[in-house]
Amino acid sequence: MKKIIFVGLLGLTASVGRAQAPAFKRAFTNMTEVGGLFGRVDYSTQFSETVENRLSLTAQTFNGVQLRPRLAVGGTVGIDWYAAALLMPLCAGIRYDLARDTQKNVRVFTSLDAGYGVAWLHQSVSGYKTTGGWVLSPGVGLRIGRPGVANFTLSMSYKRQEAHVEKPVDGFYTLARSEDRVYNRLAIRLGIAF
Amino acid sequence: MKRTIYSLFVLSLFGLSSCTDKCKETRTYRRYTNISLTGTQVRQGVKLESARALEKPGKIYTKDGYLFINELKEGIHIIDNRDAGNPKTIAFLHIPGNGDMAIRDNILYADSYMDLVAFDLTNLANIREVNRVQNVFLNGQFEGGWWSFNQNNVTLSDQRVDYVTETMETNCEDGLATQSWRNCPNCVTFDASFASSSSSVLPTTSTGSNGTGGSMARFTLYNDYLYTVGQSDMQLFNISSPASPRIGEKISLGGGIETIFPYKDKLFVGSSSGMFIYDNANPAKPVRLSVFNHARVCDPVVVNGDIAYVTLRSGTTCQGFTNQLDVVDIKDLLNPRLLKSYPMQNPHGLGVDFPNLFICEGAGGLKSLDATNAMGITQLAHITGINAYDVIPIGQSVPGGAKTVLMIGKDGLYQFDYSNPQQLRQLSKIPVNRPY
Repeated sequence: MKKIIFVGLLGLTASVGRAQAPAFKRAFTNMTEVGGLFGRVDYSTQFSETVENRLSLTAQTFNGVQLRPRLAVGGTVGIDWYAAALLMPLCAGIRYDLARDTQKNVRVFTSLDAGYGVAWLHQSVSGYKTTGGWVLSPGVGLRIGRPGVANFTLSMSYKRQEAHVEKPVDGFYTLARSEDRVYNRLAIRLGIAF
Repeated sequence: MKRTIYSLFVLSLFGLSSCTDKCKETRTYRRYTNISLTGTQVRQGVKLESARALEKPGKIYTKDGYLFINELKEGIHIIDNRDAGNPKTIAFLHIPGNGDMAIRDNILYADSYMDLVAFDLTNLANIREVNRVQNVFLNGQFEGGWWSFNQNNVTLSDQRVDYVTETMETNCEDGLATQSWRNCPNCVTFDASFASSSSSVLPTTSTGSNGTGGSMARFTLYNDYLYTVGQSDMQLFNISSPASPRIGEKISLGGGIETIFPYKDKLFVGSSSGMFIYDNANPAKPVRLSVFNHARVCDPVVVNGDIAYVTLRSGTTCQGFTNQLDVVDIKDLLNPRLLKSYPMQNPHGLGVDFPNLFICEGAGGLKSLDATNAMGITQLAHITGINAYDVIPIGQSVPGGAKTVLMIGKDGLYQFDYSNPQQLRQLSKIPVNRPY
């Protein structure tokens, strides 16, 4: 009987203990970053092959809801200054902390953004018409700072962005010209998150 | 945990190796191959065949409710269009090297490479060659491919045109800088791809019954003469006896000649550098008056009375960086005055049957406008969903019939009834099976 009472008390104590821990509340979360899109281009003509480096400026902001202590979902809006296209990715995004201990001061997180990059801000040269395309960007990063306050972030992600360009023709010798682009870049960004 | 981080880091490094932009341009263009023909092959190639599909329509001519549509370098489609709602293809008149035509009474004049051929159209089921003026045109071009005739060995050198689509890698940065086109190198052939780049119901002053052609035609009729322009000459033919054309004056014009159209007692000869005005008071021997510099031949122009309508379009090799309709007062032919510009989407050909003005907007469709007031042109209707290149208002083909406008689109020749210009009604569509 004593044993039963002891176990019962222990269970009660445990439940009281749980009730006293701070309950998780869903909250707005933001991660705003700027950085560079690093990559190369390799193209061949009939007579030569050329490899060149490419670097473009990128900025993005993720705004969402911290659904669980380690998981946030929301939307990502950005802007990518490619040399011949100014694209604005509109994505659905998630941020997931890998660190089980959410109280550490440096925590690893992963990210995934997927959506469509629009060319609303792009000003084409006369005769050209640039449209955007699908975008996918998985990545990994570090949150640096105490939990519960604004943190610095350092992230690295892969970004695949499609675009399409209709080009001018003389309507005679050349009858149709268009270009399908796939930008494959490594994005390295610094930012803040809260 | 550390293992996961290391895995992600290694995965990112792998990602680095695939961080290469991939850009591919797909281009469709014309490819030329030299071929040779004998004069006999050309002259024996004329024959009347059963109707066939349109593939590369060129100039269009109308007379008495019939449509004569040039198939580039091949011949002429003959279409009974008296009922514009149900056009019937009657026959195909195979004429090697044909690009232009004109009709006086029942006589059709058509070029066949180096010759001018006259056909009797009295019985459309039995079109006969009635006359031929030999070796009057010594060179010319179709779709940018040049041909020339050697009178000594009676041999013709020509270029066959093939359509090629290819894909190539690019540096992903095309379209970065302003394109600079200093001149208009391809303009000289612009009309050949789609017949008349601009057309109108043209005034004709003549002694006989003429058909109606576009304003980009190389053949035109005035009084007793057929005027034909080659690359650098104007060749006149006396057709006082229509079935027996006789070679007339030959006038040197200079290079890059494209079009000829009569306006009052003047002849307007379009070249890639400007528009020459010839006084045609003596139709047997036009005299050059001046050069009208305002309109480049790349810019389709139509005229009604003292007003010219000109469309300027971006995205061509002709320096056009604006999309607009210019309305120009040409009362004084030597000093045209811009009255007003109207913004447009991407204007191509245009046509006028005053006060109705029609403008093709390329992929933007066809617009019907009211041009009653040159300073206040208003849009009446806009048909979208079709790719419109050129338009020819042909009015009423038969008395009491519908007012018909012919529109040349990417996939066919459309006819619309514009009796109510606020509501264009599609009457029919003749499909075009383009090779590209």
